[in-house]
Amino acid sequence: MSCLLRLSGVHFDYQGHSVLRQAAFDLEEGSCSALIGTNGVGKTTLLRIAAGVLRPASGNVILRGRPMETISLKEIARTIALVPQQLELPFEFTVQQVVEQGRTPYIGMLRGPGRSDRLAVDRALDLADVSSLRHRIFNELSGGERQRVKIALGLAQEPRLLLLDEPTQNLDIGRQVELIDLLHFLRDQGITILASMHDLHLVDKNFSTVLLLSPGQPLASGSPEQMLKPSILEHAFQCPPDRHPLLIERAELYRREAR
Amino acid sequence: MAIEIATVSGSSVLEAASPPGRHQGRGAEGGKSRMRPWLLIVLLAVALVVVTLVSIATGAVRISPRVLFAAMFGGHPLTETQRLILFHIRLPRVLAAGVVGWALSLAGLLFQGLFRNPIADPYVTGSSGGAIFGACIGIFFFSQWSVFGFGATGLLAFAGSAATMAVVYSLARSAGKTNVVTLLLAGFAISAMFTNTSYFFEILDKNGDSNRILISWLHGDIGIPAWTELAISGALLGVASLASLPLMRTLNTLALGDEYAQQLGIRIEAARVYIILSGSLLTAIAVSLGGMISFAGLIVPHVGRLLLGPDHVRLLPVTALAGAIFLILADTLARTIIAPSEVPVGILMAFIGGPFFLYLLRKMKRSYTV
Repeated sequence: MSCLLRLSGVHFDYQGHSVLRQAAFDLEEGSCSALIGTNGVGKTTLLRIAAGVLRPASGNVILRGRPMETISLKEIARTIALVPQQLELPFEFTVQQVVEQGRTPYIGMLRGPGRSDRLAVDRALDLADVSSLRHRIFNELSGGERQRVKIALGLAQEPRLLLLDEPTQNLDIGRQVELIDLLHFLRDQGITILASMHDLHLVDKNFSTVLLLSPGQPLASGSPEQMLKPSILEHAFQCPPDRHPLLIERAELYRREAR
Repeated sequence: MAIEIATVSGSSVLEAASPPGRHQGRGAEGGKSRMRPWLLIVLLAVALVVVTLVSIATGAVRISPRVLFAAMFGGHPLTETQRLILFHIRLPRVLAAGVVGWALSLAGLLFQGLFRNPIADPYVTGSSGGAIFGACIGIFFFSQWSVFGFGATGLLAFAGSAATMAVVYSLARSAGKTNVVTLLLAGFAISAMFTNTSYFFEILDKNGDSNRILISWLHGDIGIPAWTELAISGALLGVASLASLPLMRTLNTLALGDEYAQQLGIRIEAARVYIILSGSLLTAIAVSLGGMISFAGLIVPHVGRLLLGPDHVRLLPVTALAGAIFLILADTLARTIIAPSEVPVGILMAFIGGPFFLYLLRKMKRSYTV
């Protein structure tokens, strides 16, 4: 597999406070990775840097062998789509109008959307299973429906890399499973996925790589088996091992395997 | 695994694949039914012609639309008095009202898109105040100056409007969002400051010549412009409207927020500067013809959105045409409601626009950030 995105020595400060220090990772093409860590540790910042929305104070972001700062915004947008946590619209845009914005990197200022753009929008609506909502007002949708529309917007960009910031937020367990199925499907189609996740149960079974951000520590990465060890999670999340079902469950699993 | 999916003309690999888990019967089709844009544009264009003719016909000396038609098609020449009234009084004024309404409404559309907020218009954001202030400096200090044929008054009105917008925008925006309260307070403070500074110029004026112009500007009075002034304003309006065309898609993308727009390939800072310059040029055109006319740029885009939805590409022609119609009607009312006296249209618009503004504020009160 070739490396799609490489971050090395990335440092980022926000209002004099160091958010990321020496963050480094490689994303292989077609991989499905989860980014985990405590609240406020810098997961969203890392995703924004990976999407080219934020520039790191120092360090390198390399997209398919080229430094990110040498690539035009439109070219980045045709390669990477970021699905953020929040999308608030000031006016009553319909779902279709929202998803059509995903074609912005392909459309010139004076040229309207063409046939290929309309097809891409239809495909994105269909993939995210929001075709039936296309004429609904976005602001009137439920949290789960909005989440799927945001993903459709990202898919309309026809990206190689899909970055998702807490995509299971606001979803009930049924919709979480559907979302995970969709991510698997997209990965199988060759789209590389990096999602920041809070639900470690979902991470355990569904992602090939786990990136762990801990306060004051360098970014660590490995397989779910390596990264979801109770000792690592206890330290990274500052959580007593006997207080959370996942830690208890995994401790029991490791004990059984050891026996 | 490298699979080409980012194709424009060809089909993506996603096309053939079948996604997981379909929802049956969930999230039914719905939404608001909206008018067809082309139908509305045609209706508005016809309405603009009709309203213009009716407005020309209306006044102390009535010239019936039938006479106008007959004169237009050479069937029946106008009398000398009618010709004088038509070409030297009514027609320039009606056209000026149309230009002002077009410009203010389009500027309102641009500013509302820029701020992601339906209450932003040239008056509320202080852009009109900045233009008046710039124009005052031009009148009082640089009345003889011109650059490439453009008088200092018009150029300084544009500069005042653009500078004010830049200041209000930088104050009101924080973390990719517009703080409504800051927007209102900054716009109010700058409007009050510049309007009162303009009154100060009025006191300084010894011979009173500039005074009359200033007072009519501050009241929002569409006077009777010279044909050359009207021609320059019309040409600039054409330029500003054409310059606004490519911005409409950008405004749609900006509605998603700065972060989204940037990651969709929009150069945010360049887009903002371009929008502010276009909006300021439109404001300066309106101010140079009609002075401080409040709320036209607020009401017209809002009504357009009710009819067509928020797509700026569709809204541009509709807003421009509807703005022209709206102000021609308002100005006709202003000059006939207490005839033979006239009410400045700016005062009339304040009566109409004030309650509408309060209605919008009440509607969107949940978005206050205090």
